[in-house]
Parts: sequence; structure tokens; C-alpha cells
Amino acid sequence: MKDVLALAKSHVVTALRERVTLFWFLVFPAFLLTILTLIFGQVGQEENVHFSITLINHDHAESSNLPFSATRVIEETLGSLSEARESGAQPLFTLIQPAPGSDGDAFLEQELVQIRRGNRAAVLVLPGGFDEAVLSGILDETDRSGATAKLYMSHTSVASETASSIIEQILAEIDRTILIQTGRFDETQAVAVVTDWIGQEEEETRYVDFVLPGIILMGFFTNGLFGVPGTILFNRDRKVLRRYWVTPLSVGRYLAGFGLGHLSLCVVQFALLFALGKYAFGATIQFTHPLSIIILVLAAITFMAFGFFIAALAKSANAGMAVANILNMPMMFLSGMFFPLVGLPIFMMVIVYANPVIYLLEALRQSVGVQTSTLMPFPWTFIVPLFWIALCSLVTIRRLRWDVAR
Amino acid sequence: MTHDFIMKVSHLTKHYGEIIAVDDISFVVPKATVFTVLGPNGAGKTTTMEILEGIREPDGGEIVLFGQPMKRITRAAKQRMGVLLQEGGFEPHLKVREIIQLFASFFENRVSVDAILEQVALTEKAGAQVRTLSGGQRQRMAVGAALVNDPDLIFFDEPTTGLDPQARRNMWDIVSRLKAEGKSIVLTTHYMEEAEALSDSICIMDHGKIIAQGTVRELTGQLGEETLIEFRVDGILENQLSALSACCDNVRQDGGLVTLETKDLPSTMSELLQWSETQGVPFQDLRVRQPNLEDVFLTMTGRTLRE
Amino acid sequence: MKAFRALLLTEIRNFTRDRMMLFFTLLFPLVFILLFGFLMGGMGDVEHATLGVYLESQDDEDTFMQTLERAGLRDIRPFDSLQSLEDNMADGQIDFGVVWNGAVLRFIYDPSRLQENYAFQQLANGIGAGFNMQRQDAVPAINVVRIEAGEIESISWFNLVLPGILAFTILSSGLFAISGHLTQMKQRNILDRLIVTPMSPVALLLAIALVRLVVGALSTLITLGVGILVFKLHFTIDWLRYGIFVICSTLGTMGLGTLIALIVRRPSSAGNVANAAAMIMMFMAGIYFPVSFMPAFMRTLSRLMPLTHMANVMRHVTGVLDMSDLRFWMTSAAFLGIALILFPLMARYIVRPLRN
Repeated sequence: MKDVLALAKSHVVTALRERVTLFWFLVFPAFLLTILTLIFGQVGQEENVHFSITLINHDHAESSNLPFSATRVIEETLGSLSEARESGAQPLFTLIQPAPGSDGDAFLEQELVQIRRGNRAAVLVLPGGFDEAVLSGILDETDRSGATAKLYMSHTSVASETASSIIEQILAEIDRTILIQTGRFDETQAVAVVTDWIGQEEEETRYVDFVLPGIILMGFFTNGLFGVPGTILFNRDRKVLRRYWVTPLSVGRYLAGFGLGHLSLCVVQFALLFALGKYAFGATIQFTHPLSIIILVLAAITFMAFGFFIAALAKSANAGMAVANILNMPMMFLSGMFFPLVGLPIFMMVIVYANPVIYLLEALRQSVGVQTSTLMPFPWTFIVPLFWIALCSLVTIRRLRWDVAR
Repeated sequence: MTHDFIMKVSHLTKHYGEIIAVDDISFVVPKATVFTVLGPNGAGKTTTMEILEGIREPDGGEIVLFGQPMKRITRAAKQRMGVLLQEGGFEPHLKVREIIQLFASFFENRVSVDAILEQVALTEKAGAQVRTLSGGQRQRMAVGAALVNDPDLIFFDEPTTGLDPQARRNMWDIVSRLKAEGKSIVLTTHYMEEAEALSDSICIMDHGKIIAQGTVRELTGQLGEETLIEFRVDGILENQLSALSACCDNVRQDGGLVTLETKDLPSTMSELLQWSETQGVPFQDLRVRQPNLEDVFLTMTGRTLRE
Repeated sequence: MKAFRALLLTEIRNFTRDRMMLFFTLLFPLVFILLFGFLMGGMGDVEHATLGVYLESQDDEDTFMQTLERAGLRDIRPFDSLQSLEDNMADGQIDFGVVWNGAVLRFIYDPSRLQENYAFQQLANGIGAGFNMQRQDAVPAINVVRIEAGEIESISWFNLVLPGILAFTILSSGLFAISGHLTQMKQRNILDRLIVTPMSPVALLLAIALVRLVVGALSTLITLGVGILVFKLHFTIDWLRYGIFVICSTLGTMGLGTLIALIVRRPSSAGNVANAAAMIMMFMAGIYFPVSFMPAFMRTLSRLMPLTHMANVMRHVTGVLDMSDLRFWMTSAAFLGIALILFPLMARYIVRPLRN
């Protein structure tokens, strides 16, 4: 037993002392967690987003004597949203308007160029006669078409899409207020619109809660796919292993020590990523459910088996790393970790169904309560990874050379 | 039943397909001695060592080790063996102390790590990572790892290759000390001085077979009563050399060094001087000496130890 | 000149015989493209959402269905029970659901479809507002019509991603030419053997640069080809600017590779650091994730990264993003400038003896 523990300790100590390993195994998943949460966690939270928009108002309220000016309300509303908030956070908009007396058309052309260059999210143009059209839309019984504002945007830009939606919502709100105040719309008759979720959730899952299980699994995955063949092949080719085989140490005990060390590293990974998720990003999920623990252990073992599989087939450490790189991308991206798996062609769906990562990931998410449904019925969570463990073990036993050839 | 040998190898055989690497060899390693295996490359020496170190399986033969007969080296036998491999790595990021501790954990019987570090003079380097060690320090650490179980039989596979003279001397001291402690040692080397200085008995292998066995004295004695004369020349022509063969035995030339054997020193010397004057070949560094191991080796295998 | 030709031939041979290297440089970006192409295909267009409907009450049914028709959904599927609606949502058959009981309009979402729910909620808001208006026979007084500002109608979100991948290919090629290939040569003492000959370090560098340029260009063209042929993407390529920028950026990224090699000291680590840097840049350059949603400090960081600018220029030369001439030329000049400044340092690195 002492030999198994000593080997496990060596494995852990070596990994933690190698800067390269530390980077890929700890720093990179942490970085990914950070960046994904910072970016996607913002969606829908308007305190943190900011857009640069332009308002061109061709209808000048000061020179009219209409009782009510919609354009002025719009301008004031947008203006107030471009003032710094009390919390000190950046305002929602930076509002750009043409200088008084300047050529509106030329300015519009300039602004369209800015949209195409990505410097502007949207340009709202209120054409001349807008206020009058609004009023006639309310008062005139025959022509209720109302006024139409033009919103220039770029549908390929996510920022533009979002800013446009927000502007449309703002205008809709203003419109609704006008209709209510003019009696065209009875608020008391309005239908309530409520939001609900399937499953037991009371509110939308937090992004960090959703993505943390995936990041943890990705850490295990990288550790298994790269760390295992790297270590084994390096040690074999440099005859580090041969020094062990001249002692009473058996291959079995070596594997036991190696496996124990590997799992210990996974525990370290888990602890660090969980702590980061919880204390830096406010993750609320707990991995205390027995099922979560079982799945985490199963995942660590599955990826370790894959690592051995690669080590068994690769001729050298470099070849092993190359194979690991090739497998890395498809297995990670076709797992639902980063992107939802919708609209994929058949040949890709085959990979998806064969990929053990997706089963483990969905089951893990389910066990911590951030996922309602899974791709396949629950037993597959165990069947597919166990199948891969068996296959990889078989190949390893038959093919892995423990000493360099003569 | 106690024997006075620690290991006896009988009819050991190993082939790779058609090639017979080890061809029915037998020898005995007496207790508390240094037994050296010599042989040029391809002689089967490496394979033999690998079989005895337990990392290769023989195809035939028997080994009696620590009084136990076995077909191949067993795990139990390894408990009492120590092996210093010819080449092999260590985890570069582990510290010296950690390496020794790791290897110690593989054995039931263990010497204290501090004692080992003391024995191989690495106490100050105990906390240094392997990758920071010099070649000599690394070799000493490897020796430490081989001694961690206080073995009765130790394999030193080319222990001083690539070491500077001081480090080589240190290694010789270690070997001598271990022998004095009653340990049995199997040594391989490319260095004649080493073989002569350390060995109690030697076996020479070539083409998978043992072609000579015995003490240094016995082996050199096989060359008969020959005395050797050596000298250097700047350049010698074929016909000049054949003229020399007329008067002397076993003339050979290696680069600028000419060696010849004789049983009758005085007459050969005068013939030699005559030859030099007649042929007009001046010689430098004229030496007369007794045959050594290198000569035995060369005679038996046609190659030098270092090839 | 002879030395240069010989070095060039050697570099070419090294490259074409190393199958792993060939695969990674030429084909790996393809793997990326294919993966992302198919993955992203389902994602970007959230107007094409499928809504499940369960009518508990028949009140205002016609009005309600009319509102739904006008909402711009891909598909509307009726269900006759709440359970079957929720089950279908759980299976991913429908994207979100709505239940109308005569008084309350309840929209149901799948909490795990985090990245898409925001867009579904926008749709839901529109439906809710539209329905309310229709029920009271109210007509908006203020309407908004969206007008596409871009000049090419057929651009999709993937059009934005692909040039980013091209930029990443060039970055890898240039970075690893130095912090990978050259550092490996140093590590294996190949450089030392070359130095003791009359070989000029400049000739070696030029040979490496030329091979990388050709390979990088080839790789981007293959990737473009796949995008156009397989995914039917439409690009308007300015070949002159394309060529100019590929050259400038390849040389510039070789310069960056030199920086890494000089800072990192140990040749074996240089490759790893370059790899790490490339990975981090890949995520932060706004290629896959929109930069606009990053917090302010991250947006600033993103702007400092070479890859961000490379991606933007590649989008420009493929006709996807507009860019001022000044910006194009300045960016190209900047990359070229980095190369020119670091070129003598590159040469010195080759000649500098390997320290243990």
C-alpha cells in the first residue's frame, strides 16, 4: 500500500510543480469560467451593457404648437438613459445627435457607415411630421396608421440586435403610455403576462450555475486526455518507468498509484473551480447530492480511461498529444458544454450520441438542479461512459507497452 | 542449502525470431565479489543483463538466485536486488529525497533515506529537484535508489559512462565499499581500467556466447608468456609492416600504434631495432609491457572494449 | 542566394513531411469551421423559434392566434394539455410555450436554455403587447420598422465568425513559426550546427517566413472555400487587401512569436506560452463571443489584443465589415512594423547560444 500512496503523491506533486500542467489544468478552466460568466452572464442584465446609438429627429417640437410631442418624449427618454446611473455604473446608452442646423441626410449616411464599422449599435430616425402622425393616429378614426420611426441596424451584430430590441421596447412603452392616457387603451382590461419555468425552478437559472458543471468536467477532460498520455508516454520513452520495473513494483500497483494520483488531481481541480464559481461569481449549486459525486467520479475515470486509450495507441509522446488535440475539439464542442446542440446534421448527431461527455454533463447538471431534460433516458448516463471505460481498458491492456522496445 | 554463490546461471537462452541473442550461457557469481561481464556491442551482454535485471524473459535456461531456482527473475527475488540501469530517467520535478522515498516504498526492507543520502554524498542536495542536478549527482542518486533496500545483489550497468574522472573514482569507491560490506555485484563496463581495478572475476561474451571466464590474471595468462612491445609511428607502409611480421608474432596496428607480441624479448628487441634502421621507420614511445584485459579482449573478439 | 534556396527547400521538406504539422495547419481550421458552422447554424437566428400553445380558454382565441401569426415565429404548435406542452419543451421539440386561460398569458421557458431565453422573452413581450392591443382593438400610434444598414443582405452571423477563424489561423501560423518551430530547432541544437556555417540568419528567417506565408495563405483559402461551397456563405473579397494583410499579419505575428521566445528564455516553454496566449486571445478577440457584452475592462483588454484587430481586418477584406482606409492601412502597417522592429532581434536569437 505504501508504494501505491507514494506513487500517487509523486504524481500529484509532479503535476503541481510543472508550470505547463498547472496552466492547462487550473488556469485555463478558471479563465474560461471567468470569461464565459462575464460575457454571457450579462445577457439580460442591463446594468452592465452599454450601446452607442444615434437619434435623428427631423420633427422639431419647439417650432410646433401641438399639444403633445411624442418626439420630445422619445428624445428625453433616450437622453435620460444616457446619463450616468446613481450606482456609478455606465449608462445604457451613449446618445449621439446631429448638431442643430446640420444636414440630416448627410449625417445619416455617416451614421450608417458607423453601423457597418461596428461603432454604432443602431440609428433611430424620427421623420418629419412624426408628432402629427402620432396625434392623428390617436384622434383620427379613419386613418389610424400612426407614425413610423425608422430603426437602422445590422442584423449580424448581436449588439445591434439587442440595442434595437431595447429601443423598440422603449418606444412600445411610450406608445402604450400615450394610448392609456388618451383612453385608447384600458390598462385595467389588459391581460397580465407572466413568466414561468418548466421543472421545479422558480426563476431562471443563473448562468454561472449552468456553466460551472461544464467547466469542471472540461477540467477533468483536459486532465485525462492530455495529462495521462503525456505522463505515461513521457515516462516510458525517457525510461523513467524502466527504473520502476527493475524493482518489485508491478504494473498493477503502478496503475493503482497513478490512478489514485490522477483522481486526487481531479479533486484539486474541482475544489478550485468550485471555489472560484462560488466566491467570485456567486454560484449557488451544491455538489452534495450523492448522484453528483458519483457522476464526478465516473467522469474522472472515463476521461482517464480515454487518456490510457490514447497512450496505448500513440507511438510517442508527441503523437499522443496530437491525437489528444484532435479528439479534444469535437468531444468538447459537441457536448453541449458551450453551445446548445440544435440543428446539427446526422453525422454530427452520431458523434453527439456516442460522446460520453454529453451524458455525464447533462446528468451532472440534472443532479445539481440546473437541467430539466436530457438527451437520452437517465440509465444512458452510466451505460455510455461505462462502455467507453471498458473499451479503453481493453485496448490499453492489449496494446499499451510499458517499456520501450529494443 | 547455502551456496557460496549468490547467483548461478545455467544454459540461459534468448532469441528474437531467427537471431540468437543469448546462446546457452552459464556462469556463477560468487558471493561478496564483483563479477564483470564484458563484451562488444551486439554480443548479447545487454540482453543478458536485462534478463538478470528482470525486465526481459529468457526463452530457456535456469537461474538459481538467493538459493532459489527460477525460470525468470521473480518479484520476490527483486526484493533483495538493486539495479543501477545503464540509462533511465527520473521524474524531473521530484526532489532527491522524494525519489529515494518513492523507491523505498517499493520494497519491504528499507534503509533510512538519510542513510542513503549520506552513503551517496547527496545530503546537501536532498531538497533539490532532479532537473537541477549534474550528471554525476544524478548518477549518485540512481545508486542511492538502487541501494534503498539494502540489497544482497547489485547490478551496476555501465555505472561510470559519461562521468568525469573524479566522479568515476567516487563510483569505484562505492563499489569497493559495497563489496567490503559483503554484497555481491554484477558489473558491466566499457572501461578496461575499471574492469581491471574492480573485478574479481570476469566473463567475456561475444555473439551470444561466453568465450572466456576467469580472474584478470587467469585471462591475461591465457595469452601465454607473451610480452608486448608497443611503439608509435608517423606512418607505416604495408610492405614495411609485413617485413615486421617476419620477425615477430601477432603484429597489429591501430592508427599510429603498433603492437607486437613476443616470448623472447631480447631477440625480438634487437630484430626490431634492426628493422627500424633498415626500413627507415623511426619510432616513438617505445614501451614494453605485460598483456592486459584489453589485449585479451582484442585477441578473443577482434574488437576493442570500447567499440 | 544559394544558401537561401537550400534553406527554403529544407523548410519546405520539413513541413510537408511532418504530417502532424500539415494536418494542424491546413486541416485543423477546417475542423473548427465545420464544427462551428453546424453548431452555430441552429443558434444565431432566434426569430426562428418554435412556440407551443395550450389554450385553456377559448376566449379571444382568434385574436390570440392572429397575434401569434404576426409574431414572426418559425412554427406554432398547439397542444391539448399542459403536460404534453411541457414534455415537448423538455425534449427540445419546442423552444418555449404559452398558456392562455382567459385572464393571464403565461409564457413558459426552459431554464437550461440560458443563452436563448433572452431572445425568446423578447418575442414573448412582443406577443403579449400585440395581443393586448388587439383585444382592445387598439392600434399603436408609434411604429418602428427595422432597416438593414449593411450593404449586403445575405450576410449571416457565420459570415462574421469565419474571418475570425482565418485570423486565428494566421496568428497560429506566425506565432508558432518562431515560438515552436524555431525554438525547437534551438532546443535540438540544430541552430547551433547551422550557426557555425557561413549561413546568414536572415536567410533562414526569410525561408521560414516564406513557407509560413504560403502555408498560411493556403490554409485561409481552403477555409474560405469550405465556407463558400459547403455553407453557401457569400463574401466580397478585396484580393489586393487580402494579400497585403495576410503578408503583414503573418510577419507581424512572427514578430510576436519572437517576443515570446525572447521573454521566455527556455525554448521548450516558448511553444507552450505561445499556445496559451493564442488560446486566451481566441476567446477574448470577439470571434466566438460578442465583445459588446463584455464588461468595460474586458473590452479594453480585447482591444489590446492583436487578434482582435486581425479579425476585424479580415472581416473587412472579405467584405463583411466596413472599415476606413486609414484604419486598414494603419493596422497593416502596425503589423509590418512589429515585424521589422523585431526582425533583427529574431536574427540575434538564432545566433545566440543556447543557455542551459
